[in-house]
Amino acid sequence: MINLIYLTVLLPLIGFLFNGLFGSKIKNEKIIGIIGSSTVGISFLIVVGAFIQTLSLPVEQRSNTVEIFTWLNVAGLNIKFAYLVDQLSLTMGLIVTGVGFLIHIYSIGYMHGDKGYWRFFSYLNLFIFAMMNLILGDNFLVLFLGWEGVGLCSYLLIGFWYDRNFEKGTTSQAAKKAFVVNRIGDFGFLLGMFLIYFTFDSLNFKEVFAKATTFPVTETTFSLIALFLFIGATGKSAQIPLFVWLPDAMAGPTPVSALIHAATMVTAGVYMVSRASILFASAPSIMIVVAVIGLLTALMAASIGLVQNDIKKVLAYSTVSQLGYMFLAAGVGAFSASIFHVMTHAFFKALLFLGAGSVIHGMHEEQNIQNYGGLKKYMPKTYITFFIATLAITGVPGLSGFFSKDEILWNAYANGSFVFWLIGVLTAMMTAFYMFRLLSLTFYGNERFDHHHVHPHESPAVMTVPLMILAFLSVVGGFVGMPKVFVGEHGNLFENWLEPIYKPAQLKLAHFGMHSHFEEILLMAISVVLALSAIYFALKVYTQKPEIAESVSSKFKGLYNLLLNKYFVDEIYEASVVQPIQKGSEKLLWKFADVKIIDGAVNGVALLIDKLAEQIKKIQTGFVQYYALVMIAGIAVVLFFLLFSL
Amino acid sequence: MPANNYEYFLLLPHIVLSVGIVLSILIEIFTRKGKEVLPWFSSLLFLFVGFYSIINIDKNFFIFGGMVEVGGRASIFNFIFNIAALLTVLASTDYIKKYGINYSEYYILIQSSVLGMMVMAMAHDILVIFMGLELMSICFYILAGLNRKRSSNNEASLKYFLLGSFATGFIVYGIALVYGTTGSTSIQNIFENFMQYFNNILFIVGMLLLLIGFSFKIAAVPFHMWVPDVYQGSATSVTGLMSTAGKAAAFSVLLILLGTSLSYSSPIVFRNYFSVIAVLSTLVGSIIAIAQTNLKRMLAYSSIAHAGYMAIGLAAGNNYSFAGITFYLAAYVFMNIGAFTIISLIEGKDETRLTLNSYAGLNKKSPFLAAMMSLFMFALAGIPPMAGFFGKYYVFFGAIKSDLTWLAIVGVLSSLISVYFYLRVVVYVYFMNENEQFEIEKSVGSNLAISLTGLLVLLFGIFPDSLMNLIVNFIK
Amino acid sequence: MNIEIILFAVLALVAATSSVMMITRKNAVISAVFLVLNFFALAGLYLLLNAQFIAVVQVIVYAGAIMVLFLFVLMLLNTEAEHQLFIDKRGIKFFAIFIAAFVFIEIAFLIFKSNPSKNLSPDQAASINSGTIQTIGQQLYTNYLIPFEVSGFLLLAATIGALVLAKKKFE
Repeated sequence: MINLIYLTVLLPLIGFLFNGLFGSKIKNEKIIGIIGSSTVGISFLIVVGAFIQTLSLPVEQRSNTVEIFTWLNVAGLNIKFAYLVDQLSLTMGLIVTGVGFLIHIYSIGYMHGDKGYWRFFSYLNLFIFAMMNLILGDNFLVLFLGWEGVGLCSYLLIGFWYDRNFEKGTTSQAAKKAFVVNRIGDFGFLLGMFLIYFTFDSLNFKEVFAKATTFPVTETTFSLIALFLFIGATGKSAQIPLFVWLPDAMAGPTPVSALIHAATMVTAGVYMVSRASILFASAPSIMIVVAVIGLLTALMAASIGLVQNDIKKVLAYSTVSQLGYMFLAAGVGAFSASIFHVMTHAFFKALLFLGAGSVIHGMHEEQNIQNYGGLKKYMPKTYITFFIATLAITGVPGLSGFFSKDEILWNAYANGSFVFWLIGVLTAMMTAFYMFRLLSLTFYGNERFDHHHVHPHESPAVMTVPLMILAFLSVVGGFVGMPKVFVGEHGNLFENWLEPIYKPAQLKLAHFGMHSHFEEILLMAISVVLALSAIYFALKVYTQKPEIAESVSSKFKGLYNLLLNKYFVDEIYEASVVQPIQKGSEKLLWKFADVKIIDGAVNGVALLIDKLAEQIKKIQTGFVQYYALVMIAGIAVVLFFLLFSL
Repeated sequence: MPANNYEYFLLLPHIVLSVGIVLSILIEIFTRKGKEVLPWFSSLLFLFVGFYSIINIDKNFFIFGGMVEVGGRASIFNFIFNIAALLTVLASTDYIKKYGINYSEYYILIQSSVLGMMVMAMAHDILVIFMGLELMSICFYILAGLNRKRSSNNEASLKYFLLGSFATGFIVYGIALVYGTTGSTSIQNIFENFMQYFNNILFIVGMLLLLIGFSFKIAAVPFHMWVPDVYQGSATSVTGLMSTAGKAAAFSVLLILLGTSLSYSSPIVFRNYFSVIAVLSTLVGSIIAIAQTNLKRMLAYSSIAHAGYMAIGLAAGNNYSFAGITFYLAAYVFMNIGAFTIISLIEGKDETRLTLNSYAGLNKKSPFLAAMMSLFMFALAGIPPMAGFFGKYYVFFGAIKSDLTWLAIVGVLSSLISVYFYLRVVVYVYFMNENEQFEIEKSVGSNLAISLTGLLVLLFGIFPDSLMNLIVNFIK
Repeated sequence: MNIEIILFAVLALVAATSSVMMITRKNAVISAVFLVLNFFALAGLYLLLNAQFIAVVQVIVYAGAIMVLFLFVLMLLNTEAEHQLFIDKRGIKFFAIFIAAFVFIEIAFLIFKSNPSKNLSPDQAASINSGTIQTIGQQLYTNYLIPFEVSGFLLLAATIGALVLAKKKFE
């Protein structure tokens, strides 16, 4: 099955081509949906097969390269189009194809009746194709190909409903914003790639990482490489300062938000940092930067999430916040914990988004949670699954989110500092609060919607079944990564599985100090208690005494407005970056440099060549005798030069 | 000495094609259904011969007393010719009906011309080269003038014939001199004793005259004058074949002839000759094309420029650049046939709708044709990741390897100039308002040909290295 | 000076003169007659080279059959309008003559310079037999089988071409 891994890339591509080329001709939605979903489904089965096969191999043989073809072989730059099948890529592959498959199925119901049905499925397939390239690539260039590919798909899907309005603008403006912000990150990534090639003379993962431990490279170089790569990651994974695009990305259809802007694409940055762990581990100062940025992002996004009223916006900020957690984990050297959180987050966040989609679907495209309320009895299945996901994300013990979050917090404390832990717990409290605020406002309390126009209803089975599967995974998904304090040194299956990937990085990172089991259990208990109290508080306020929320928000009006307006980050960027660039490029670059200097020169040359062409054209008279004459004259000249060269 | 049976077996592709030609004639005579049957029969024939050749690429032998080479290089070229002919036949189904030249002879002549090309590509004897060349050329002369009712066709045919014969005269004179100085027509012989013969100035004159004759066939400046008139005047589908497969066949011969000489000591004479030819062709082709509004004529000049780029590879004269030329030719065949097919679809009766104006707003009439036309124009302009880019890239890289960096720079510069007129077509297709209303009739054949060429152009651009490796291994 | 060289000089002179005369005549029939003369001279040259068979074929096929056909066609065609095709520009004409003379001088110079016959010592006995029908036939069906077969297809294609271009009406 490992050798068949290319099929997991090829099948979605075929699906994309089929639906893209013939989709508009096929009137039957079922055929389009089944083709779109089954290609991803089969890919998932193949990844499972490859996973099982890899599991059966001894640990040292678990990293396999599948070569597809030589891509470029130019002056020393030899790039093979090859896929690396190892523990990390398989883990990510299972998440992408598995969750992706469920979301495809869900979309069959969600997108029913949309005029762009075929377009939607072909884009989704294209996304899976690009994402699999990103994950499986065995060198930075293939990774970059996928990286750009998912960016493109994200752009296409955010602007999918290009004729609709979104907030103050249009969906295409939101799409453009996502694209441009990502481009800034990509620039950093490209610089990092150039520097890697410049330093190690290769772009192949295995070669680069092997050379990273043996080559005499200064820490400054490592820091620069890591910094550039991290800038790339902040773009794709929506971290400070490039997180502004993700909330706007909610302009796309909800399954897209679930698949691309929650479960898979946005974790690409985490994956990349984790893949290049050795490069980051060699740059301790950048590791701190990563951790701090992650932490700040988590805190900031969670605080914004406290007051948002759009159901998808809340989830979007929650995503940004959870991504911050992942970078915190990576920053303190707990790479496997970060990937673990990627996985559990994929389950419950996809579930939350799909649940939100189900609610939106049932509420006729209404997204404001202030206009929901008491939906529990109208959509029981959606409610239960949503409830489970909420428990998982808030970190209620026993569910998947608890294990991954606890692992991160513990590592933040053990390998970072107490402050990291404290802010982390604070964020977790906020998360618990806003998630239960969301839950309460949506499913409990008074029905605040207009009964004459809105008739809430449960979604069809094609949408609820994926919800249930994801709910199941959200519950049990965490048991593969139980904390060592409970299951012993080798009990954490997930960490053991990924351990070989991070071995070089872990050797580089010196972990100081020993921490007792007691300490760990104590911290865990504290965080659980704090989260539970936040839950209690939220439930109390939003189901029984909504006036408390009113009074608090009016008492701290300044703070409330600050949060509601997302710290005015968009406005600040607009005033400090966008406007100056626009003005500068219009006045200076366009009107002066481009029009006057460059255009002048180009047009001058073009005019010259144009005139020249008109003149030479006249030689072509149409008389065959002339043509023969020119030929023989040519021969005469050739022979003449031959005589001279004697 | 008599050949043994295995040698005949190795010639199977040629024999099958020959039998096919005879069969085609018989079909026309006895069933009178040639028009319906022959397009499909020819397609199958080309498909079989092309793929049979390429499958047997590793059976690389010199047979019939070293007179011809089968497998290897010859297989690659056989493949190119046959696929080009296949695409032409598929693409021309609409066109020849529109122009009332839907004769069975059209197909028979295409088959014969392909046979001629295949003979040229396998030849290792100047006599065989000459026979193949004449077979191909005579078929082309006739094909160019197939539509007797139109004076432009007659004119093109006659011009092509007169100037072609003129060039053939020089080829024959060159052959005579080479034979006179070496006492043999075998290329193998020339190859082995090259240093000895090279002291004889008459031998160099003979070789040069041969090269000049073939420079005419590849449409290089200053032997290019026939190209615009003939390409413009001939039936569009025929132009597609002449400008691609015909050029490829002439290049296959140049590669053989130069392979004998350059691999030894790379005589400065031939290198200078092709350097000058290349510079003139790229610049003249690119610059004059800018002034053209008729698309067929524009592509004729573009074809001159492309001959120039390939001639850069000839000047470089190393194995890498020769493989690059072969790659370039294959890429050029696909992108050019694709472009000519679209032109033939847009073209109205009586040579109307050939100018850029008719392409304004094509996007609204047929998004598919618009997209494919842009694809081919991008490919011809040499913009990655299309096939054309890598063709140029390999050739220029070969030039740098032979310390001819200045030539590569000239090539890049004239590519830049050429971008202007290629992209102008794209601009018309997408950004101009329609100013003519007409219906485009497309049949399955044309659609297939366009899609196939488009796909191949992309494939060549995405997987250039694998193909290049294959070619490098067999061009020696 | 032996007879061979004298014959060669005479025949070559006749061939060259007749070809120049042929292309400079305004009347097509006279041109054709000069072409016949040219063919005869060439046949003589072939004989001098021991190519008896070729010489005979040259006379029978070209000078005989084809030229007669030419003359018939010329008589049936209207060649009155031919002068339209002439370019009456003095400059061009002189330039053309100059270039032709220049190429001629160049090649002549190159030939004299390289002195081609110095390395050749033709085996007279062998070359007398080489021009007979027997040797030619034998060579055509063994060593030169491939070019021979290809020439068959060349003629076939030319025949088809003649039919296509000359057929009065299609369907």
